Amino acid sequence: MAMQVTTPLSDALGKYLDLTSEQMKLTAGNMANVDTPGYRTKGFNFEQAFLGALNDATGSLGAQAPVANVDGLVSRPDGNNVSMDREGMQMAKEQLQFRFGVEVLKDQYSNVMSAIHAEDK
Amino acid sequence: MNLFGVMDVSASALRAERVRAEVVASNMANAETTRTADGTPYQRHHVVFEEVGGNGSFQQTLASQMGDGLGGLNNGFSSGIQPLGSGLIGGLNSSAVAANGAPGGVAVAGVISDNSAPLRRYDPGNPDAGKDGYVAYPDINPLTEMVDLMGATRSYGMNASAVQAEKNMVSSSLDILKS
Repeated sequence: MAMQVTTPLSDALGKYLDLTSEQMKLTAGNMANVDTPGYRTKGFNFEQAFLGALNDATGSLGAQAPVANVDGLVSRPDGNNVSMDREGMQMAKEQLQFRFGVEVLKDQYSNVMSAIHAEDK
Repeated sequence: MNLFGVMDVSASALRAERVRAEVVASNMANAETTRTADGTPYQRHHVVFEEVGGNGSFQQTLASQMGDGLGGLNNGFSSGIQPLGSGLIGGLNSSAVAANGAPGGVAVAGVISDNSAPLRRYDPGNPDAGKDGYVAYPDINPLTEMVDLMGATRSYGMNASAVQAEKNMVSSSLDILKS
């Protein structure tokens, strides 16, 4: 069995963080276009995209995150349907998601480090 | 995908909202301007935003091309408003902005001038008064301008807090190195 520093969990966390920042970019784009006439809110289904990324060994995330227009939002007369409240909440959620991923990843690496330094004791 | 790209998106919004606030300020400053370079009263300006790059899928591009987007809107407005060639901040080349702007961000498509008829006030002593004693003043409503300014301020604030959030995320991902 090959010796490896990365674990299946840290691989998954990498994909989780990639997808979270991908989603963050869409939220930032939605916020940026809050006054752009005709702009439609964009997003993707995180759970579905993450599941797809986990099952895909090649690790290319592009195909797993199909960006689509978000349904069920009220359009203003200029055709724009960005909701400041929704985007604010999304941003807060993504921040916590990212923080969570980082913390678990740190924990993973400190496990690996303690395994490396085990003989020092 | 990196987090700095997300900050570029928010930065483009900060830039665009600042231009919007500048245009409002210029409108309010010139609310009583009866004489511009070509001798006519000042005309109200406002900005039009457009989306830059982004992850536009084929469907979205098609939908916007079919008149859902800015194209349809411009047709509706064209009767009263004309593009401003070399005005205040006009002359922003939208294709140039789109080419090197941040993907998924926003850009000022242009500053357009509102062609509504000037307000006429009777003031025969004014040097700009016509033969009938009326002076043409710009049709600027302080209320409209204030509402626009508040909108710009709120959007700016929202995008600024997004930048704050992104900074926290970048610094928290740097914490991985410290473990």
